[in-house]
Amino acid sequence: MTETAFSFPSTYNFPPFFTPQPNTNTRHDQLKKWAALIQAWCRHHRQQRLALIDAVESPLFHNAALRKRLDLREARAIVDWMAKTEEEGGGGGRAEWIDAGRTVAWIWWRQPAEWADLLAEWIESTGQKGVVFTVYELLEGEGTGSQEFHGMDPEVMLRSLNILVKRGKAQVFGAEGQEGVKFF
Amino acid sequence: MSRRGVGLGAFANRNQATQSYATHGANLRSTHLASLQTQLSVFQSLLHTFALEHSSDIKSNPTFRAEFARMCNTIGVDPLAASNVKGKNGRRGLGEGGSFWTQILGGDMNDFYFEVAVRVVELCRETRSENGGLIGVKECRKQVGKGKAIGSGLEVTDDDILRAVRSLEPLGSGFSIILVGSKQYIRSIPKELNTDQAAVLEAIQVLGYVSVSMLRLNLKWEKARAQTVIDDLLADGLVWLDAQGPEKEYWSPQNLLDDSG
Repeated sequence: MTETAFSFPSTYNFPPFFTPQPNTNTRHDQLKKWAALIQAWCRHHRQQRLALIDAVESPLFHNAALRKRLDLREARAIVDWMAKTEEEGGGGGRAEWIDAGRTVAWIWWRQPAEWADLLAEWIESTGQKGVVFTVYELLEGEGTGSQEFHGMDPEVMLRSLNILVKRGKAQVFGAEGQEGVKFF
Repeated sequence: MSRRGVGLGAFANRNQATQSYATHGANLRSTHLASLQTQLSVFQSLLHTFALEHSSDIKSNPTFRAEFARMCNTIGVDPLAASNVKGKNGRRGLGEGGSFWTQILGGDMNDFYFEVAVRVVELCRETRSENGGLIGVKECRKQVGKGKAIGSGLEVTDDDILRAVRSLEPLGSGFSIILVGSKQYIRSIPKELNTDQAAVLEAIQVLGYVSVSMLRLNLKWEKARAQTVIDDLLADGLVWLDAQGPEKEYWSPQNLLDDSG
């Protein structure tokens, strides 16, 4: 896969974007824009995990041209907001903290349930019901090279598979670290 | 010039003279009126033919449409005059059903502006939390042209946008056009800008952003005055704060539109 440059939205070049806005409405709009940007960034780099301490030094949170940056506290506030559901006035569960210290988070540009849908669809459309895979095969095998879930975080893969298990569409077996899966 | 009479008879004379002047005046007026009416009806029918002949151009070509609308405007024909004003302005000659345009262009013209208006309203609502309900006419036009919201893009001019916004006025929509500096904006929140606020927004147009000290320097304002105006603008969501410089800077979100929504 060739790496193309990530194209930032125009908000990224708007200096106030990096300062938490005092006005509630404006703030809400700002959070929405950050959430969209973070998701687009992670999607572009095909990553599900975002470590904030690294991210604040990366172009995502540090606009070197403007010499503006998002500090750790603000980055945390945004991920917090993304993690909340829309009913709670948040970003619709588009993030989830991995550690209690709130330094690393899953960024759900596609939620596990959505990954599960994608997997089920792929199985369906390729007529592979009843076939047994190892999880490693799904992630790294040649057969899935063109699929979006190819090379994804194994933990997210397992979570998605477990959703399929709950739906009665798959069965996961084997020891931890070498799981296999059968799709129905 | 007749010499003014000196006797009692002069009074009667004068009365007579005034009266004949008056009748003559009335005569002149009515001939004028009659000829004007003929001219008008001839003109109206010509306009009618013109509009019919070029109806497809009017609908599809924004420049042509703008020119046509401008022409109508100059001669006092309102292309958007809705059916509720029919009869009031002497257009009964064209029949009773619907507006001038509805008759000429089969309602398409009104539909066109109606569609533009819908898109403008949608855009204003979508971006209200971003820009505090103030959006540049030009930016709005670009966005409507892109037509991200519904269907494909709609090729429109600034003039079409203005017309569409004005067509919303009878609905009590609270949408209005305001002028800040030399730039036209659509205000989608029925809240007026005071002169100080407008002055600051104008300064931002020119300078890119403002700070309290810039306002004191450029507008010779007291610190308290500058701070109050800025606080008001912030509270209304019309400016965004950048606190990462040596002094707090205030920016207008007008250029953010590219990726909203």
